Amino acid sequence: MGSRAQTRRFYDAVAYVVLIAAFFFAVFPILWTLLTSLKSNADIVTTEIQYLPLRPSFENYATLWAQAGFTAMFFNSTVVTILTVLVCLSVGVTGAYSLSRYSFPARGQLLLFYLLIRMFPAVLLLLPIFIALRVLGLYDTHIGLALAYSTLLTPVSIWMLKGFFDTIPPELEDAARIDGCTRAGAIVRVVLPLARPGVAATAVLVAISAWNEFLFALMLTTSQGIRTWPVGLQLMVGEYQLPWGLLTAGGIISIVPIVLFFALVQRALVRGLTLGAVKG
Amino acid sequence: MSNVDRVAAPARPLLAPPHWRIADLSESSRWAYYLLVPSLLLVAAVAVYPVASGVWLSFERYNLLRSPVPTFIGLGQYADLWTDSTFWTSVRNTAVWVTVGAASQFLLGLVTALALNRPGLRGVGALRIGLLLPWLMPSVVAGHMWSLLLDSRIGVVNDVLVRTGVLHTYVAWFAQAETAMGAVLVVDLWRSFPFFTLLLVAGLQGIPEELYEAAEVDGANAWYRFWRITLPLLTPVIVAAVILRVIGLVNAPDLMIILTHGGPGLATHVLSLLAFNDAYTGFDFGAAAAVGTVMLVLLMVFTSLYVRVSGVTRD
Repeated sequence: MGSRAQTRRFYDAVAYVVLIAAFFFAVFPILWTLLTSLKSNADIVTTEIQYLPLRPSFENYATLWAQAGFTAMFFNSTVVTILTVLVCLSVGVTGAYSLSRYSFPARGQLLLFYLLIRMFPAVLLLLPIFIALRVLGLYDTHIGLALAYSTLLTPVSIWMLKGFFDTIPPELEDAARIDGCTRAGAIVRVVLPLARPGVAATAVLVAISAWNEFLFALMLTTSQGIRTWPVGLQLMVGEYQLPWGLLTAGGIISIVPIVLFFALVQRALVRGLTLGAVKG
Repeated sequence: MSNVDRVAAPARPLLAPPHWRIADLSESSRWAYYLLVPSLLLVAAVAVYPVASGVWLSFERYNLLRSPVPTFIGLGQYADLWTDSTFWTSVRNTAVWVTVGAASQFLLGLVTALALNRPGLRGVGALRIGLLLPWLMPSVVAGHMWSLLLDSRIGVVNDVLVRTGVLHTYVAWFAQAETAMGAVLVVDLWRSFPFFTLLLVAGLQGIPEELYEAAEVDGANAWYRFWRITLPLLTPVIVAAVILRVIGLVNAPDLMIILTHGGPGLATHVLSLLAFNDAYTGFDFGAAAAVGTVMLVLLMVFTSLYVRVSGVTRD
């Protein structure tokens, strides 16, 4: 029996080595970006690479923040993200609830359809959206960009929310109905409070996706007043000398909210993603 | 698969109440449909209509600069693509990008998922969060991080490889035809393997422990247990994850836009970038739509073949 314990220990060791190597691969680029953002440009562009910042400072962050347009970009991203979350959740909650609770003709096809939408090439969606937004006068506006984002994110949120609603026993609503609640009342008073972690996780997923989005933002915005930060950050890349200090500082600032929100809802988010994707 | 007993859509009450308030609407027999209307309207307006008109656009000459009024030209744009060598290079590059990308991300995802799922391993919580972080990174930031890491003058990867004697001189990873595609693939491996880790861990947790215990009693070794229990039961999750990832790889030109612009030459020029450039720099919406339609058809063919071959629908 000693050999079995030995094999077990061997595989445990292999698992740790794999995990630590993958962890290093995953985290090192982020760490390196953080370290670089704390160096002055003279310490970044050197003949001998400086591994740890010798004179760490928040100079890059201060310069970036003071730069015209940077706070505006963050404001734009925030507005578009909030609008997208509102649209996706309001149509997502109702749609997902119906798909979770009721059986009706074409229910299965409808679920599949929401999945297929993911297959549409972004460019194919982008062109008519571009044309339509111009016709409607919504091109280069916050709400126009948010509506475009909802294209891709509504189906995902419906799948995720449906997974959460499925885990809430319908008997609770029946009980509320017997106590005189309408169906709509039962959703608001019983289902939504119970599904709060799931709704929060969905909101965070939608928010992260909208906050990070690059391609649509590049195509559907032109003016400084609307431009979101991923586009702004990319446009900072000049032709020759890259402003590494500013780029890395901008990168770190922009991922801080993502990591914070993710940490808040981590468990429910992971569960929701797998509920939506694993169950067929 | 779910535990919910779905009720039939509510039956119509004998005397239909007047539908004034949402509370009253919710008592109607069509409540299940009313709830679906907002999402269907939105998706129809911003997904179905665009794709339909996008496909239609591919049959029209429509260039915002040169022919701003769409004119129908049938398959003209497809004929142009057929004779365009850039298009065929992009098709080949897309094949490499998708195949190597999906395979490498799946393998690293599988290995890490198996390790994370090993029972009795301590202290994995922190490692797991670290592993998931790249998946949250915006493509712009991921691109900048890696172009700094792999920079030809100040890149730390070059520094380490030269110090350890693997390389003699610094390499301009994104600027050489031989290494550019590989370098972008590494960036996407970094950003996307956690997606597989996440889904495969969930899939592994759904496999009943008793199966492994029974196999162990029968004397099956770890290798056998993996091939005969883990892999078959994981197949539906693998198929779903691979399809979603392939869609992502085909459709997103982000990393190419940020890192290489398809170069050097056409070394990293993929279909999604071709379509994007047609639209964004050339304002040639008709040509872009034709490339987009080709991508959509390729994805649909791939998905249906893959689902059939993997046999997930047989049960």
